[in-house]
Amino acid sequence: MSTIQRIEQERSRDHGRLDATDVDPDDHALETPMDMILADAGQSPLRRMVPGMSGVRAVASLATKPRTVARRTAGLAAELVRVGVGRSEVAPARSDKRWGDEAWEKNPFFKRTMQGYLAWGEAMRELVDDADLDWADGQRMGFIVDNIVEALAPTNAPVLNPTVLKRTIDTGGGNFLNGGRRFLRDYATAPRVPSMVESDAFSVGEDLAMTPGKVVLRTELFELIEYAPQTDKVRTIPLLIVPPTINKYYIIDLAPERSMVEHLVRSGLQVYVMSWRNPDSRHADWNLDAYGAAILEAMDAANQITRTTSVSLLGICSGGIITSMLMGHLAATDQLDKVSAYSLMVTVLDQGRAGTTSALLSHKVAAAAVARSEEKGYLDGRTLAEIFAWLRPTDLIWRYWINNYLMGRPPKAFDILYWNADPVRMTAGMHHDFLDLALRNALVEPGKGHMLGSLVDLSQVTTENYVVAGIADHLCSWESCYQSTQMLGGPSTFVLSTSGHIAAMVNPPGNPKASFRTSEENPPTTQEWLEQASKKKGTWWDDYAGWVGDRSGEWRGKPVKAGSSEYPPVCDAPGTFVHDR
Amino acid sequence: MSRTDVMEHEDPTIEEPPGAPERVRQVTVRGISARVSVRPGTGPYTDAPPLLLCNGIGISFEAFGPFVEALDPRRGVVRFDVPGVGGSAPPPFPYTIAALSSWVTALMAKLGYREFDVLGISWGGGLAQQLAVQSRRRVRRVVLVATGTGALMVPANPKVLGIMATPRRHRDPGYAAEVAGTIYGGTMRTHPEQGAALLHSMTRAGPKRGYYYQLLAMTGWSSLPFLKLIRQPTLVMGGDDDPIIPAVNPRMQARLIPRARLHLYDGGHISLMTEAEQLAPVVETFLDEQDTNDSDTHAD
Repeated sequence: MSTIQRIEQERSRDHGRLDATDVDPDDHALETPMDMILADAGQSPLRRMVPGMSGVRAVASLATKPRTVARRTAGLAAELVRVGVGRSEVAPARSDKRWGDEAWEKNPFFKRTMQGYLAWGEAMRELVDDADLDWADGQRMGFIVDNIVEALAPTNAPVLNPTVLKRTIDTGGGNFLNGGRRFLRDYATAPRVPSMVESDAFSVGEDLAMTPGKVVLRTELFELIEYAPQTDKVRTIPLLIVPPTINKYYIIDLAPERSMVEHLVRSGLQVYVMSWRNPDSRHADWNLDAYGAAILEAMDAANQITRTTSVSLLGICSGGIITSMLMGHLAATDQLDKVSAYSLMVTVLDQGRAGTTSALLSHKVAAAAVARSEEKGYLDGRTLAEIFAWLRPTDLIWRYWINNYLMGRPPKAFDILYWNADPVRMTAGMHHDFLDLALRNALVEPGKGHMLGSLVDLSQVTTENYVVAGIADHLCSWESCYQSTQMLGGPSTFVLSTSGHIAAMVNPPGNPKASFRTSEENPPTTQEWLEQASKKKGTWWDDYAGWVGDRSGEWRGKPVKAGSSEYPPVCDAPGTFVHDR
Repeated sequence: MSRTDVMEHEDPTIEEPPGAPERVRQVTVRGISARVSVRPGTGPYTDAPPLLLCNGIGISFEAFGPFVEALDPRRGVVRFDVPGVGGSAPPPFPYTIAALSSWVTALMAKLGYREFDVLGISWGGGLAQQLAVQSRRRVRRVVLVATGTGALMVPANPKVLGIMATPRRHRDPGYAAEVAGTIYGGTMRTHPEQGAALLHSMTRAGPKRGYYYQLLAMTGWSSLPFLKLIRQPTLVMGGDDDPIIPAVNPRMQARLIPRARLHLYDGGHISLMTEAEQLAPVVETFLDEQDTNDSDTHAD
């Protein structure tokens, strides 16, 4: 079996493992790839279900292939007859958790319902394939048909789901009372999707974002958190982490023993994290430049406090895009010595074809989206949450639909989902700039993007860099992340982690399933890279801590206090901005 | 504090205030997550009831910053954002003042305070009056600042009411500076930019819906019929140049509340924030008085 096949297997296995009860749950929706998600925020999820011209082209294409369509229809009819007489072999995929109840296997009525549904769904999806659409249309139609097929699953209907029927008997109908109450509560406020976690399941500062530290600087845009050292000796050069701007920062400081920040602090680094302000309509004009300038400000503060002249930078997702553009600015202004090492996590700089979503982006849609956010002053994170949820309806909508409304149960408490349900608004300025970047794919060619008055040329960024991607990341596909190693001028270390967008970041030691791939060299294509990459057990956190530690200067005694006379501590971590809803 | 603080402060240049630090957190009460800021009482106030601050319409608790700084740093203070304002999640449905008052009591219970003092300014003053009557065993003393009796009061002039009918002044700093003098009076007439700064510096703008829910809650509500039922010692404060709440309103409240005392000051609607240095001591003195059961005399 070739490496490629193995990778595909791993990818699909990781995609299939989506149970929130898992120790290492797979990625649940979150930010990016900027382009389509940000563009779609301009319209309701229902609008995205309208096939538009893609649908017209699909129908036209199928109309020219009457034979294929007839063959498919006949095949489906034959299969449905076999289902009816009980001779069908159709069975759900092993990873499909919807059919866990024994009744689907034993009860003839339910078994036929399930097989009929599976056969019909399969036929629908094959029809899309038959239409031979180009990549963008195919993606779009596939998305719509998937959504329709998954919405019509018998498991979603109270009378067709044996688990729900049993529960109704057990509770005497109380499940629907409870479920109805939950439904009203969920749908009264955005995001209008079933809640994936109780709003009081966790609380930031009580059981999340617990690593001790102090806010040492508060500006309009961000709070800078300095984490307290937990080792006697620390590395001289501080590490400044730039989190995503579309979610709260505490994904990297999730819970004790599940916190990247804690892990890095324990490895002897002086860690600083920017906690972005949750902007509102008054901050509409904060754009990429404003955020870039904010990072510079944080760098200066970290340097002043640690009495150093450079920092290591780590950018995550959209934070990684801003960081990279800032690196371009530093390169253009001959200030690259301010950054001793630079790392990107699940960041896509080349948005040519970033996973499943860019297919849906068009200039018209993007312009409409920008117009809408400019009218409001911001893009509401809750709108994004809805869009993410509809990208994976079975895992993120229907599962909770059944659990919350049909079974009348509270969703399980799960920290990553709590974080996911705590979104941040995005300023209109930022929204505009990000979409503009994506539409022009401006970071690929030198001089097309600009930051703080400099033209960005990533090939001039000669700083050593470390790039992390998740193998099952369907939002920032690892292939797109890999392109960064080709675009950046400095020597790259590329690390491919198990799991998806979020779970790749929350990768604490001690998980037997965790592994990562890395390679000494970065050939032009991902396939070549895979051929030569070696697989290592454990979490890449350790690998990264070592890599960044080696580039963070000498060991020295830990600072006795937080901040400095110029930057006195303002309050304890996690600060106040993280609490803004 | 459950966490051990591993930082040491040995540098005399960094002075910690003598009180406990304030902590902002999200607390979920009855399914609505609210942003709350708690400063525990220390020293003589360790076991004293904390002071709960109820804000004006559409304003997040940061606006109380100058006032809290002017208070004794050892006094316990609780500030919160009304659901739908600032950092608190909007409630799924419109609410009434009575429901909000019951929710606030539950919030205080969740924070571990059985008894507390309450200070309400403007819209929050309505909530404070409701709290005083509805949770009479929980509320020890009441301070009403620049507030009226709801629907049955001597109204502001229509121009002012028109400006108050939308949250625009909270969203548009230019507009805020333009109307500050007209609606807030006092020093805002001479320094309108101060008002804009106060409403915009670090405050959070919630969704518009939150503001309209607040307006709706006060619609048809009046404390006039039950002012007689407020049994707690009450301090009524009002400005002589307050376009929103003409001074006759606090006078009337002080007359009708059995154990009330009136303190009229020279200033406008938000003097409590802009001239906190002068007004905070008045509040402190009142809160620290020993409880006596003889009726306080009315000052006019």
